[in-house]
Amino acid sequence: MVKLAAKCIVAGDSAVGKTALVQMFCNDGAHFQKNYTLTIGVELLMKTVPIPGTNDSVELFLFDSAGKELFSEILDKLWEQPNALCIVYDVTNEQSFSNSAKWLERLRIQTSGIHIPGVLVGNKIDLTDRRVVERKQAQQWAEANGLEYCEISVKEMENFEAPFHIVANSFHRLYKEKVEIFNSLV
Amino acid sequence: MKFTDYCLSSEGAGVILATSSDEIHPPENIIDGRSETFWTTTGMFPQEFIISFHKCVTISKLKIQCYLVQRLQIEKSISKDPVDFEQCIEKELLCKDGELQMEDFSFPEIQATYLRVIILSAFDAFVSVHRVIAEGLSQESSNSIF
Ligand SMILES: Nc1nc2c(ncn2[C@@H]2O[C@H](COP(=O)(O)OP(=O)(O)OP(=O)(O)O)[C@@H](O)[C@H]2O)c(=O)[nH]1
Ligand SMILES: [Mg+2]
Repeated sequence: MVKLAAKCIVAGDSAVGKTALVQMFCNDGAHFQKNYTLTIGVELLMKTVPIPGTNDSVELFLFDSAGKELFSEILDKLWEQPNALCIVYDVTNEQSFSNSAKWLERLRIQTSGIHIPGVLVGNKIDLTDRRVVERKQAQQWAEANGLEYCEISVKEMENFEAPFHIVANSFHRLYKEKVEIFNSLV
Repeated sequence: MKFTDYCLSSEGAGVILATSSDEIHPPENIIDGRSETFWTTTGMFPQEFIISFHKCVTISKLKIQCYLVQRLQIEKSISKDPVDFEQCIEKELLCKDGELQMEDFSFPEIQATYLRVIILSAFDAFVSVHRVIAEGLSQESSNSIF
């Protein structure tokens, strides 16, 4: 049995629903925040995710980051040595999708060449008639950039646990692979 | 005269603290005298462990066998309890793919009842520590006929 701990950065444009997602995940779907409160800097939340088929678990330290600060330097310090990435965009907002590339680029600088698991999350799929970013387009971009992909609606509580289960499982897999390598050294 | 490795459970050493623990790769693997077995870190850095000796020992050489460790800090204490640590080493290590890091540190003799090893940063999300060796002249054998 092993309990892993991962620093997971949650980033993306302002108002795409990062805080709503992280809060919903951490309080097990008890509450959806309707009113928008802008996040300043970073808010840290923690949740333990069990890994299916094992007795292992991953403690996710979720760094819910401010979307307003794409061009500020505050985040860089708080983001040091991340273990996983979760980039969120709003499927009704084209710019929030195209800005995902900028968020990813900025996060990649932090990882100095180390491969870390990441997921691109399309939120607000409940707003079907306002949707402008197609699943296929986003999925292709995610794949091309080494990210997993999922779509969710925090509001409808649809699939909101998926992004974190994806990164926790990837992180666990990474650990198992590393241990194999450690075993082969001597 | 004979060199003794004090960092062995058979010599009375123990790991009294480790910030990570996988049941399959526990911190005791660091002091079992074998390079094949190891302790893994399981989360964010810094990570550390503290080794206790069974008494105050005099060390003249310290070695560590590990993998993917980038910045390392080693402290020692001569107190009866694991407090009042003083830094004796801080080093940026190199790492070759697939090769165990074998770091040697020599210094004028130091006394210690505890050693604290802190891994400040790493080349990957996880590192392994296979052995710590703390060599000193064994007191008991210094009056032997050799
Ligand atoms: N319709 C709909 N609205 C949502 C959904 N998720 C979040 N929202 C709303 O979107 C608004 C912004 O959500 P936040 O979670 O505060 O956004 P954020 O990404 O944290 O924004 P910053 O903190 O400024 O970076 C809020 O009014 C939420 O209620 C969703 O799935 N569907
Ligand atoms: Mg927010």
